[in-house]
Amino acid sequence: MLQYLAKRLLGLIPTLVLVGALVFLFVHLLPGDPARLAAGPDANAETVALVRQDLGLDKSLPEQFLRFSTGALRGDFGRSLRTKRPVSTEIAERFWPTFWLTVASMAWSVAIGMTIGVLSAVWRNRWPDRVGMTLAVSGISFPAFALGMLLMQIFSVQLGWLPTVGADTWRHYILPSLTLGAAVAAIMARFTRSSFVEILHEDYVRTARAKGLAEPVVIIKHGLRNALIPVVTMMGLQFGFLLGGSIVVEVVFNWPGMGRLLVDAVDMRDYPVIQGLVLLFSLEFILINLIVDVLYAVINPTIRYR
Amino acid sequence: MKSLLRSSFLAALTLGVLAAPAFAAKDVVFAVASTFTTTDPYDANDTLSQAMAKSFYEGLYGFDKDMKMIPVLAESYEVSKDGLVYTIKLKKGIKFHDGTDFRADAVKANLDRVTNPDNHLKRYGLYNNNIAKTEAVDDYTARITLKTPFSPFINQLAHPSTVMISPAALKQHGNKDIAFHPVGTGPFKFVEWKQTDYLKVAKFDGYWQKGLPKVDTITWKPVVDNNSRAALMQTGEAHFTFPVPYEQAEVLKARPELEVVAAPSIVLRYLSMNTQKKPFDNPKVRQAIAYAINKDALAKVAFSGYAAPAEGVAPPGVEYAVKIGVWPYDVAKAKQLMSEAGFPNGFETELWSAYNHSTAQKVTQFLQQQLQQIGIKTKITLLEAGQRVEKVESWQDPATAPVRLYYVGWSTSTGEADWALRPLLYGESWPPKLFNTAYYKNDKVDADIKGAQLTTNSSEKARLYKDAQETIYKDAPWAPLVTERLLSAHNKKLTGVYVIPDASFNFTEIDLK
Repeated sequence: MLQYLAKRLLGLIPTLVLVGALVFLFVHLLPGDPARLAAGPDANAETVALVRQDLGLDKSLPEQFLRFSTGALRGDFGRSLRTKRPVSTEIAERFWPTFWLTVASMAWSVAIGMTIGVLSAVWRNRWPDRVGMTLAVSGISFPAFALGMLLMQIFSVQLGWLPTVGADTWRHYILPSLTLGAAVAAIMARFTRSSFVEILHEDYVRTARAKGLAEPVVIIKHGLRNALIPVVTMMGLQFGFLLGGSIVVEVVFNWPGMGRLLVDAVDMRDYPVIQGLVLLFSLEFILINLIVDVLYAVINPTIRYR
Repeated sequence: MKSLLRSSFLAALTLGVLAAPAFAAKDVVFAVASTFTTTDPYDANDTLSQAMAKSFYEGLYGFDKDMKMIPVLAESYEVSKDGLVYTIKLKKGIKFHDGTDFRADAVKANLDRVTNPDNHLKRYGLYNNNIAKTEAVDDYTARITLKTPFSPFINQLAHPSTVMISPAALKQHGNKDIAFHPVGTGPFKFVEWKQTDYLKVAKFDGYWQKGLPKVDTITWKPVVDNNSRAALMQTGEAHFTFPVPYEQAEVLKARPELEVVAAPSIVLRYLSMNTQKKPFDNPKVRQAIAYAINKDALAKVAFSGYAAPAEGVAPPGVEYAVKIGVWPYDVAKAKQLMSEAGFPNGFETELWSAYNHSTAQKVTQFLQQQLQQIGIKTKITLLEAGQRVEKVESWQDPATAPVRLYYVGWSTSTGEADWALRPLLYGESWPPKLFNTAYYKNDKVDADIKGAQLTTNSSEKARLYKDAQETIYKDAPWAPLVTERLLSAHNKKLTGVYVIPDASFNFTEIDLK
């Protein structure tokens, strides 16, 4: 197992190098001169030249790439063009709000999504199934920004129960995590249901029932555990997506996370920040995939890695 | 686990019900539309960051709430006959937040800093163009020598970017780090800047204007989403917000505790036409386009009535702006001009917008429909900021410039005609130098603008600017469209906060009941 982990971790490096090179190229292919944008509406050509030099954009593309990659190796991703602070600081500051919001929304959406999924599967084509799946389809179809605004309008403006924007206390987490988690809960519910329906037709479930086990034991012990594999895969994927910072939800709730940072960075052509963020997102995905692979072995001991 | 989560979630909801938001007496919250780029006005290029910096910084001169220029840290000034030497008397007894005295050495330290290219400040170009040297004659007299006479110089000193930073703090924190430790003479001291969340300032007890400020703290909260900002006002979490989107104005007006204010602005919206390219090289075509647009209807349709038809090439409120009158809406006349120019059946062209927000979308669609009346078929492109820079603002060769009809706007941030005309209509201001997107060049206008810079005689200046504006108006390198109104909202308990015509704020007199 340890050997497997080490191998996978080493395998990260070429992927990241490739991603880094692609990101660098893509970002520089975007239209528009970042120096002109950074210098602002009142600036004359002389100031723009000064800003360009200041940002190191007067150097040739290969030279810039060399600087970028040697810096990245040392953990230095340059300075933000906008705020002039190190990219690592900018991202570190925004990472935790997004992380905790992701954890909060994943926690409740997995709990609720799986409950609905299991109930729907057990009472397939009966009313719990229909109610559950109606909820799930609505959850997927309702756009996050509309849900966010609706929740804010009801719970903050009309009822005054919850704060509108910011991320200071746990009360600030309720509305954004609900908004963010709605779609995930819906996806989890549908996934759990289909996976469970399949499992319930397996021979070992019939055997378990035949040997006289109580139905809850059959479902939870024999069913759930086996149904988890595809669900965990999906969970990992969703976690990765959410960890990228939901742009819509973070903008609506003014969440100080990475989604907003990305919007600001793209808007201002803040190359170093965009590069840093995309690299981080790729790294997150790779790590999550690794964790998911390990989880398979935990859930189903017949799976072994070498 | 599942039930634990669910019960804690329920507990969360119940607790949320019990604890309603509460505020101490004199803590004010401003909700603004974007994140601040810096606290250093010499390195800022956005109006908002400079407006926020007015919390802790003041300049020698400034603007009152109607954009009239007033002395702030300066007492008075004198100009030499040749218009080159400005001698400025300073007010006495003013202290910086760090306890040091405000004296002429501060003027020298600040202007020397921005004119030094090694400091890489974004406003370097604006100052280095005209300032040759700055001297402290005595403790309370500063002398600034210009390279060439530049009559709007005092307006430049009044611009919110020309502020006095404590020389001691500059020395202590250095050129870059001063942005994280601002020390000025303003009514509020800097407390904390959490980049992602807010910037907080607190009352400065040693402020030189006695009795001010009247509130204890101001928290500047950047909230990007329009609807969320409006929600913040409705819940009482914020006391003031700017800008208010048109569609939210009615919602906020309906709340008894809120007041929505539409203030005049110096933001002029216009349609520029590339005068170097056929068919726009023909003044008749340009005039026809100006006649074909119903500006009243445009203000109503695209700006929900929060705009007024433009009455000249510089908006009212700008010093030396001439009110020439709204260009009449006359389709028959437009058609006749088109025939005279040799285009009785019109032509096809490109219509670009410098912005891609929904108001710009409405404006361009309206313009497209209006121009169709005289046979001009347009293809609309809303440029995203990067495209705008690439295709318009930094296009190197005027001969190949792809811009034709271009919807854009300009805010004359110095409040003086020079900055309304020179960057946009002066023959040497073609992109990529400045923003003459009409590629307009008229020797008479150029001579007027140059002449007005050199003279220190106010009535002569007024005459030159009047001549320039009237010539431009007739030549019609632009179809002037509207001047916008600035929509802000505040809680009725809050007084003394104004959005001034350059979209900056004035809040020295701020108070909360």
